[in-house]
Amino acid sequence: MVMGFQVALQPANLFFCFLGVLIGTLVGVLPGLGPVAAISLLLPTTFHVTPVSAIIMLAGIYYGAMYGGSTTSILVNIPGEAASVVTCLDGYKMARQGRAGPALGIAACGSFIAGTIGIIGLMLIAPPLAKMALKFGPPEYFSLMVMGLTILTFLASGPMWKALLMAAFGLFLGCIGMDTLMGATRFTFDIVELSDGIGLVPVVMGLFGISEVLLNVEQSMERSIFETKIKNLLPTLRDWADSLGAIFRGTVIGFFLGVLPGGGAVISSFVSYAVEKKVSKYPEKFGTGVIQGVAGPESANNAATGGAFIPLLTLGIPANAVMAILLGALMIHGMQPGPMLVKEHPGLFWGAVTSMYLGNVMLLVLNLPLIGLWVKILKVPYPILFPLILLFCLVGSYSLNNSITEALIMVIFGLIGYLFKKFEYEAAPLVLALVLGPMMETALRRSLLLSAGDPMIFLTRPISAALMLISFFLLAFPFVPWLKKKHAGLSQGEAKK
Amino acid sequence: MSRFINDQVSAAVWLALGLMLAIASVRYGLGTLDSPGTGFMPFLAGLAISLFSFIGMVQATLKQKQGLRWKPTMRGYLWKRALIVMAALLAYALLLKPLGFFLCTALFIGFLLRAVQPQTWSVVIIGAMGTAAAAYGIFQIWLQAQLPKGPWGF
Repeated sequence: MVMGFQVALQPANLFFCFLGVLIGTLVGVLPGLGPVAAISLLLPTTFHVTPVSAIIMLAGIYYGAMYGGSTTSILVNIPGEAASVVTCLDGYKMARQGRAGPALGIAACGSFIAGTIGIIGLMLIAPPLAKMALKFGPPEYFSLMVMGLTILTFLASGPMWKALLMAAFGLFLGCIGMDTLMGATRFTFDIVELSDGIGLVPVVMGLFGISEVLLNVEQSMERSIFETKIKNLLPTLRDWADSLGAIFRGTVIGFFLGVLPGGGAVISSFVSYAVEKKVSKYPEKFGTGVIQGVAGPESANNAATGGAFIPLLTLGIPANAVMAILLGALMIHGMQPGPMLVKEHPGLFWGAVTSMYLGNVMLLVLNLPLIGLWVKILKVPYPILFPLILLFCLVGSYSLNNSITEALIMVIFGLIGYLFKKFEYEAAPLVLALVLGPMMETALRRSLLLSAGDPMIFLTRPISAALMLISFFLLAFPFVPWLKKKHAGLSQGEAKK
Repeated sequence: MSRFINDQVSAAVWLALGLMLAIASVRYGLGTLDSPGTGFMPFLAGLAISLFSFIGMVQATLKQKQGLRWKPTMRGYLWKRALIVMAALLAYALLLKPLGFFLCTALFIGFLLRAVQPQTWSVVIIGAMGTAAAAYGIFQIWLQAQLPKGPWGF
């Protein structure tokens, strides 16, 4: 930790941490541009800085966006980014009741507490996990990635077949380009730029950024910002008494869901809201302006950001789309995330972790007094804002490789993302599968080579078998109530005879 | 279209796509289990897409028999605006190199400000030129992004 503070407190790194959290908060405030798109857009700018500064800034954008997202959810009833969707339910109602200040205040304070605890968890769990990960071979990696995809599809909204289909499509997209084991190209249609595969950045910018704009322009673009004098930002003792339990529950939920590949801030916030409703003495009041409905999810999504760094930094496996881009950033800078990262680059690891402490303090300071500024930015009319968002996306995708093909891929995936939303398909499993796909394929083929073609290798090795069992359980679980009903129906039919 | 529901149509499209991808993967060589070939993983992915979409079609058909109907995806939405934006995005990508960054950006912003939800001409002109200049300054000069120069040198 001492080394970490020495790295994080360097003026350049402090500056990039501040820049990251400021941009992240702005991105979180603005609807339509989430942390994935923002990190994708700013990734090329990090090529000119050191790897430590790059990761500090990009990480700052991620957890900064979680803070910023709550502002629009509470004041405008439009989530700034997906992990703040749930905050709209009670946060906006609190604002309508003249309690915007306590809602914003508890969201900021809860996020700070949860973010800090999440970082402590990261600090304690990552090094021993990295040691354990040295025992992982190709079968364990494959099984872990299967479990990660299964968890994400299990927790996705909508029918599971859709989420699984998206994941399968993402795996296919990950196959486009060079087969690294055989040296042959697949599905490139003689397009040179595709020989390295379909880039993650244009795909996510298209699926999440462009499609969101297309959906927004289809509707009335007027939005009313609730005009209220925001006062008394600091929560009262009563607010603290009501929220403390929710904050700590949200922290635990967010941290552990953030660690799991396939989990993340979005799912954490939904699960936290559901838990708060379940444990509350007055569940019927949720949705009418209950402070626990803000405290829990906002804490969960911030704790998840700390947890999400664990599989990335210790196993080299991204837990979600944002981590996938950070993985790309680390590799561009010549770092290989994985069990050896803590040992070979302790400055990067501990510097990044420590900078998150500092980033959380900066965010608390930024968010409370600057709420007035964020509200002014929100008042920029959307018909003027969306061309800027599109421009940033276009330039961002082009400048990755100075290639029009990347920009066209982004536009095409923007149309695909738009159609996905019309037909209610979620893009998150596709993105995770796109990132994990090449690693999964390599792990699968190496495992089969190791076992001379025997697929039982995934079940005979204990860690791999445990991970596969969890995946199977999650896949079978949705059918269990159906099976129970069917069995009950059959039994009743026989009794009547 | 109203004879079917949304999920039936989308699942049918996915089923066709999945089968096409699986068949196309075969020509890359599937290899054997102890030495999987280049086409192995895309073949599995194509099969998985086909399988899940088939399950989806069955579920959707059951729901249709229970009375679920086609849910309009475009009615009530200003979908022509989305079409205009898509066209503008494609045009930008295709015209970026021939026209250069500055001019292409100015035209792109100006078109969107006027075509989607019409702003006044002063807003359109100032917005277009101002944005192009600011973007040029940020991306080309500050971030050194190497953006295309048109025949006019910018």
